[in-house]
Amino acid sequence: MAAPTAARGTRLPPEEIGYLVAGPGRAAETALARLLDAGLVRVSRDGLVSAVHETELGTLTAVETFILVHLRKAARFDAVVRNAAKSQEMRTLHQQLRARRLTREARPRLAVWWVFLAFGVLLGLLALLEPWTLFGAVAFLGVGFWTYGAKPLTRAGRAALKGVTASDRVLAVALEGFRGRIGNQSAGELFGLPQSVVKMLPRKRKKRTGNRGGAGAAGCGSGCGSSSCGTSSSCSSGGSSCGGGSSCGGGGGGGD
Amino acid sequence: MAGIKDLGVGIGWRSEIDLTVERLPGVDFVEVVAENLHIGHLPESVTLLLERGVPVLPHAVSLSLGSADQVDLHRVEHLGAVAEAVGAPMVSDHVCFVRAGGLDSGHLMPVPRTKDALDVLVANVKLAQRNLPVPLALENVAALLEWPDGELSEGQFLAELVERTDCWLLVDVANLYANARNIGTDPERFLDEIPLERLAYVHVAGGEQHGDIYHDTHAHAVLPQVLEVLDELCSRVAPPGVLLERDDNYPSDTEIASELAAIRAVVDKHRG
Ligand SMILES: [Fe+2]
Repeated sequence: MAAPTAARGTRLPPEEIGYLVAGPGRAAETALARLLDAGLVRVSRDGLVSAVHETELGTLTAVETFILVHLRKAARFDAVVRNAAKSQEMRTLHQQLRARRLTREARPRLAVWWVFLAFGVLLGLLALLEPWTLFGAVAFLGVGFWTYGAKPLTRAGRAALKGVTASDRVLAVALEGFRGRIGNQSAGELFGLPQSVVKMLPRKRKKRTGNRGGAGAAGCGSGCGSSSCGTSSSCSSGGSSCGGGSSCGGGGGGGD
Repeated sequence: MAGIKDLGVGIGWRSEIDLTVERLPGVDFVEVVAENLHIGHLPESVTLLLERGVPVLPHAVSLSLGSADQVDLHRVEHLGAVAEAVGAPMVSDHVCFVRAGGLDSGHLMPVPRTKDALDVLVANVKLAQRNLPVPLALENVAALLEWPDGELSEGQFLAELVERTDCWLLVDVANLYANARNIGTDPERFLDEIPLERLAYVHVAGGEQHGDIYHDTHAHAVLPQVLEVLDELCSRVAPPGVLLERDDNYPSDTEIASELAAIRAVVDKHRG
């Protein structure tokens, strides 16, 4: 497999990193973070986001432009993220990431996957005595493999996230979300956002198992799949929910 | 009150830019629109500024002191309550009327500069003062037209108002500039005629020229010409405070900071 761009030394844009880490909700948060960082939007204490100067100038991505265009009238912080996550521009970003083989269609793991596997193995052993059962073994093993599910991140996607750290506040949002912890503060506080604003976004959810959270990059909505920082070297020290245990791989991009 | 203490350079606090106002360097005081505040439920940002020791001055827009009708004491009461809630050393409104015959114009309409209109204004101002816990400052407004049969210049009108009511003056240099552009008044003559020792503080704001008319929008950058009027004022008196008013189309923090810095530069130039 060809090495992804990031592996060759060129880091992906923060918005794409956000998408790979936790899906469209996180990418939307990252786009908003970038606009805040560039001083193109401002947030008030009551959580209203407004465009500075009402111009599209200065945006770097289609998602950023979507956000700025829709801020001609001030909108709630959480609604901005939610609407950007559901936008056509975000779907296009997803398609681009898939075309570059950084993500793929995720399949949820079914609880009974191991039953198919067990039957497959059993029939395989039986084939030593009754060769015709081999067909059944292959079929059951196939179904078992399918129901085991697939995570949205490809190997190239995981490689692209390798070594990405919260080296600036936009990347901190990409990796952790506004509600995620960086050190002893939330990433949102790096932007001077009050907790009341940051908490408008859905809470970061811990994933029980790695694969259940796999919808992240493939299709979760705003703010979902945020507990995936298995790839961030900075988050294990920050008191986040992602200290490296087994609960950590499950966001959109984590996993093995 | 012996005199207004040194306020420095400030900005109009608006909820849309509350975080900006909190984090901007060089904000020595703020002004709040009194009608937008509810007693017992001050915005968190205003409380935070007060905790930091930043003076908060209530500015009213609805007393309609120039109206022939008697001033609405409920509005005066609210203004006074806001002043007490924020511990303000003074409050302000405009030399204008916003209501007539029970109808609200939605604009700050200039008062005819006649002796009769002045009598009405003086009566209303005195009534308001009696019902306010702190001194009242009154601001000159921008006018797009002049009432006929004016007997006094704007400066003379305000000078007499001060003499008869002992009110303070809030001089808006952007309004002086707007009036100079739109109705041909002379800012220097205005400054010659008003009692500068009764200057509470100064407003600076941005606007835009549309054809022949200059609009005092508070939504555009401050023109250099407006700063020139401020400069003229500062050459005569050290204003206790100068405040930037911005009400819409808020620019970036950097741009607001540089407007405040430009104002401070003009003030400091004359302080030596
Ligand atoms: Fe003003």
